Amino acid sequence: MIELKNIEKYYANKGVKSYILRHVTTSIKQGEFVSIMGPSGAGKSTLLNILGMLEEPTYGEYHFMGEDVTAMKERQRIELYRNHIGFVFQAYHLIDEMTVAENIEAPLLYKKIPGSERKSRIADVLDRFNMVAKKDLFPNQLSGGQQQLVGIARALVAQPSIILADEPTGNLQSTQAEQIMDLFKKLNQEEGITILQVTHSEKNAQYGNRILTIEDGVIKEDISVEKQM
Amino acid sequence: MFKLNLKIALRNLFKNKVYAAINIGGLAIGLTAFVLLLLFVNHESSYDKWSPELKNVYQVREYHDFFTPDNKAYWQQRSESRIATVLKEKIPQFKYVTKASEGWGDGYSVKIDRNNPVIVKDIVDADSLFFKVFPYEFIDGDELTAINAPNTIVLKQSVAIQLFGTDKVIGRQLKLVRWRSDEGNLMTVTGVVKDPSTAESLAFNAITHTGERDTDPDQISNSNYTGIYVRAEKFLDTNVLNKSLLNVYVDYKKALLKARGTTYNEFYKEKNRKAGLKILPISEVYSTPSFSENWLAKIKPIIALSIFLLIISVINFVNLATAQSVQRAKEVGVKKVLGAYKKQLVLQFLMEAAIQTLTALFITIILVELLLPAFSNHFNVQLSFWHSDQLLSIISQLFGLFILITLLAGFYPAMVLAKYNPVKVLKGNYESGFGGIALRNGLVVLQFIIAVTFIIGIGVMYKQNHYMASKDLGFDRDKLINISTNYETGDSFVESIKRIPSVKYVATTTQVMGNTFNTSRELTFNNQKFDVNAVTVTMDALPALGVKVVTGRIFAKEYAQDTINSVVLNQSAANLLGKNLVGKTFTSGPKNDVFQVVGVIKDYNNESFEKAVLPTIYKVTHLGGSSNTNNLLVRFDNDHYQSAIKTIEAEWKKVYPDFPMIYTSVEDAFLKELKPSLRLMQIVVLFSIISVVLSLLGLFALSTFMAKRRTKEIAIRKILGASDLQIINMLNKSFMILVVSANLISWPIAFILTKKWLEGFAYRIDMPFWPFAIATLTSVIIAVFTVSLQARKAAVNNPVDALKYE
Ligand SMILES: Nc1ncnc2c1ncn2[C@@H]1O[C@H](COP(=O)(O)OP(=O)(O)O)[C@@H](O)[C@H]1O
Ligand SMILES: [Mg+2]
Repeated sequence: MIELKNIEKYYANKGVKSYILRHVTTSIKQGEFVSIMGPSGAGKSTLLNILGMLEEPTYGEYHFMGEDVTAMKERQRIELYRNHIGFVFQAYHLIDEMTVAENIEAPLLYKKIPGSERKSRIADVLDRFNMVAKKDLFPNQLSGGQQQLVGIARALVAQPSIILADEPTGNLQSTQAEQIMDLFKKLNQEEGITILQVTHSEKNAQYGNRILTIEDGVIKEDISVEKQM
Repeated sequence: MFKLNLKIALRNLFKNKVYAAINIGGLAIGLTAFVLLLLFVNHESSYDKWSPELKNVYQVREYHDFFTPDNKAYWQQRSESRIATVLKEKIPQFKYVTKASEGWGDGYSVKIDRNNPVIVKDIVDADSLFFKVFPYEFIDGDELTAINAPNTIVLKQSVAIQLFGTDKVIGRQLKLVRWRSDEGNLMTVTGVVKDPSTAESLAFNAITHTGERDTDPDQISNSNYTGIYVRAEKFLDTNVLNKSLLNVYVDYKKALLKARGTTYNEFYKEKNRKAGLKILPISEVYSTPSFSENWLAKIKPIIALSIFLLIISVINFVNLATAQSVQRAKEVGVKKVLGAYKKQLVLQFLMEAAIQTLTALFITIILVELLLPAFSNHFNVQLSFWHSDQLLSIISQLFGLFILITLLAGFYPAMVLAKYNPVKVLKGNYESGFGGIALRNGLVVLQFIIAVTFIIGIGVMYKQNHYMASKDLGFDRDKLINISTNYETGDSFVESIKRIPSVKYVATTTQVMGNTFNTSRELTFNNQKFDVNAVTVTMDALPALGVKVVTGRIFAKEYAQDTINSVVLNQSAANLLGKNLVGKTFTSGPKNDVFQVVGVIKDYNNESFEKAVLPTIYKVTHLGGSSNTNNLLVRFDNDHYQSAIKTIEAEWKKVYPDFPMIYTSVEDAFLKELKPSLRLMQIVVLFSIISVVLSLLGLFALSTFMAKRRTKEIAIRKILGASDLQIINMLNKSFMILVVSANLISWPIAFILTKKWLEGFAYRIDMPFWPFAIATLTSVIIAVFTVSLQARKAAVNNPVDALKYE
């Protein structure tokens, strides 16, 4: 589903190139659950942003579902956002002025899904995440874990084929983190959604089936996780 | 989607109530000034558009110097009456030609049965063709024959109701008295016309047909000036027609001047005069006054002011919306990764601007309704909003304004927002995702330039007005009244009021503040020709005015010569003629009459300060012709002259029961001359206050955001040991640079503008310095105050609170 070939990213500062990513070549198949690990400043977020087309690589090839991303027009990219990619952020990034239900509805509006279907889909996710009672609350009336659940619900409601999550549990306590990780695993195994997460926690990384370790912008390790559970 | 965006917009407005109020309120104020102006412009441009047939109606204008304020030639609305006859014969395109003379003085006295007489203004005397030219709608009477017979009168419906209490007045009679000793004409009402829905340049309350307009003066040497209007068969090319009109006019003038014993060449060519006759579509008459500038030129400063005010409020809007956009950055970033097109985001924010503009517009409409009476009063026009005949066009103008303001105010913030880079924003890195600081600073500077210029303007105008109000006019204006009537020597009424105890002088002059009539006269002195202004006075006029003698003497009864050929010069005339003039003689008039100068007086102001006093000769004698212009000056010798006026009025009523006595104090006439510039100042003061308040509100809100945005920085600085005062100073500094640079730019702008305004006055102050200093000081002080208010709040906060949230 994702093909990276020789991806490089650097910032030029006063004639000096400082590399963030170097020679990143890898591929991610449909249905994988990949955890990206590495020390702070290694380039994990940059890589994820490039995969999410939020940033452009300085050099290299990137194919998403067989299409060349670097040659893509803005419109096509937005179409991918609407139909294939779901984002989950460490800081949740819910829209403060919208209720839980409205936050979840937002991506469906951009997909131009008719009102009746929107309603039933929102009802479905709310039900699944046990948040029906909270649907008319605003984000600041929820706990961090609940907010992140809404963030994931928002990513899921558009039925994406891949979820990109940058430290989704970074701001959460461990019980809440476990709940999120379980959810990711279930989504991956039962619905076949490809998941790519950045995490600092060994434990969280174990939920997936593959771990990419990045150091100084280079992929140091690429191992698959043995299933002990 | 629209519904959701609307909800978000409203939630945001409620969350930031103060800013929303500043934004919407500011916009509403700016819009109110603009909409009032719009109503005024609509009204002023609505003249003579009340019937489609008016497009075939034209006014004839002759170029001449009779009855002009400065004795120079102008394109005048009154033409020599014989021209009407000539046009009827020579120009086949004119279907009807009518003569209509506007009433003069204070109006005519109308007496119905035994009722008290009432003064009615704007009674126009016409020949029988008036209603063939002007398509007035008759609601009673026969429009074809109404004013065929002499001594008939057609009333406007409103006037009929006002005079008779009903508009069923055909056949009723009223007596028209034109001056105090006039016996009056008994007129029969033969028609009532509907009041047109929009304004007329030839505004009348009644049209009379006395018969005086039917004929021209018998003697070829006499002229009669009257308004001439024509109705064309079909559309005319005025350019082409005016050429043949000029030819006809020149031929006519040649014949006339020859009959008067002179020649065309002598009258025009040798004296460098220009002959001219043209027609003007009636729709252009109001916007083309003969002497003054037209209404558009007159209200230019006000147009500029209200546009500036609108700009200031739009700037506030843009500034606040852009500053506030930091709070919306996350929303934009998230929406982008959810798949929103940029266009959708721009539309969303434009819609938010539209909501606020619309709210502002509703407030504006309420404000306009509230302010309209005062505004109409101030400008002396009858404006209406809901009841206006132009409501439809006003509404479409408002709609256009709504779109324009929405785009002006909303487009830039919307673009800024929609341009946010989601990665940067979502990383929490707002600052770098946040552009337009330079532009916002620029806008604050622009706002302050306007505000400071306004303040300087007030200062300069205040000084000039003060100067004019306290300037020595060269005559004594208190204890002096002017009764509006003619005065012939030996008049029994005048003799009777002279006997009233506190009356000191009774006199007449053609030149007094409030009613000045200038006639040009050519004189020959030392074989040199001079053009001067000639004023006819009675013996007591100069003492009554209290003029100051420079050399020689003024008129007095002891000198029999004064009724024969004495003249008094004013200083300007003396300067023109030379030195040591007392006792010298000059000649004037076709018969070379000899006049002797007996004295020189100080120039005295008799018109507004925009005009320099003309070189003038004063004479009592009728030698060389005289004029008489409805001024009867009465000077009292003590301050308690109110009872004396009562006595005069009683005396008047006894002798002239059919004509009410009308008088003004010369002090009031003087205040009336000051009024236009006082009025302008009042408006500038009002606009300045609003613009300064708006600018400060903008600055207040902007500094709030600035302080908020720098909360973390402030907290860290405090932990590092900065004092509150240092923090306040730090925040003030960035704004102070803006305010000071705005001041530096304002100075030359204000200087040029006020200088130009001052140049409109013949009597003016030198450019004062202190308004500049005060404006700068004021703007700096209030800016520091406003910013400090916010900065202090930010500075005294506990730094721990600020950092905890990060
Ligand atoms: N705009 C930028 N200019 C220069 N350097 C940057 C920029 N953005 C990120 N970096 C640098 O790139 C490196 C990698 O950042 P990031 O991908 O966020 O690391 P991680 O997510 O692994 O902690 C960091 O050292 C950071 O300083
Ligand atoms: Mg990171």
